[in-house]
Amino acid sequence: MTVEPPIHLRVTRRFSASPERVFDAFLDPAKARQFMFATASGQMVRVEIDARVGGSYNFTDRRDGEDAEHTGEYLEIDRPRRLMFTLRQGSDVSRVIIEIVPLGTGCELTLTHEINAEWAEYAGRTKEGWTGILDGLAATLG
Amino acid sequence: MRDIASQRSLDHTLIALADPTRRAILQRLSEGEARVTELAQPFAMSLNAVSKHIRILERARLVRRRRAGREHRLSFNQGPLDAAAAWIEARRALWTARLDALDALLCAEDCAASTAPDKVSTGQTKKKGRSR
Repeated sequence: MTVEPPIHLRVTRRFSASPERVFDAFLDPAKARQFMFATASGQMVRVEIDARVGGSYNFTDRRDGEDAEHTGEYLEIDRPRRLMFTLRQGSDVSRVIIEIVPLGTGCELTLTHEINAEWAEYAGRTKEGWTGILDGLAATLG
Repeated sequence: MRDIASQRSLDHTLIALADPTRRAILQRLSEGEARVTELAQPFAMSLNAVSKHIRILERARLVRRRRAGREHRLSFNQGPLDAAAAWIEARRALWTARLDALDALLCAEDCAASTAPDKVSTGQTKKKGRSR
């Protein structure tokens, strides 16, 4: 049974850089450490990227002496079009899909964060997607 | 760090919203207080089934119950919806900030690259660099 995850949080952004450069930045530890899970007040103390399908990653950000670990596994690596990985934070596991299409000399990236797999069983019961419900909700709340 | 209690309440909110009957009940209550029997009327289901939906909404604190004599009056509580929307908006802002940082990173590389060829194109500059 295909279960539709509950929330599809989507962010789209244009880059003047080529699809390849944008794609590679996600898997290059030197670059990824600067933008992926870095926080202004924290210090990135560990960055490990095993860039192959089934390979895992670990970004550890130290904030006020406390380590915040961001770990996950690569599910799909299709350079420079599509990158999919899981994201584990505490007991939550979610999925991130990055899709890149060429646009002029640069590209457009769409990031979809499918939040919280444990909600999936409930989402399967509703025909409407979460996006619609929550977008409507956000609009209502202004 | 992650607040387990708020995570749990967010779960309850989203579970509560995941059903069309419950959303219809909320819609009705957002127009004003109602009794359980009034809420049940538009639906082709037993009072018992509607009560189950109401319990899920109450667990999520989306519905409040007060007793007026022998009657139970139900009302809508907006708070958990605001909390859910704020949580989602915070996630979105986080990813937007990350992608902004990536763009800045790549632009900085381009700037470094675009100044470098200038130096290379003038042979003198290149030689100067080498003589260091």
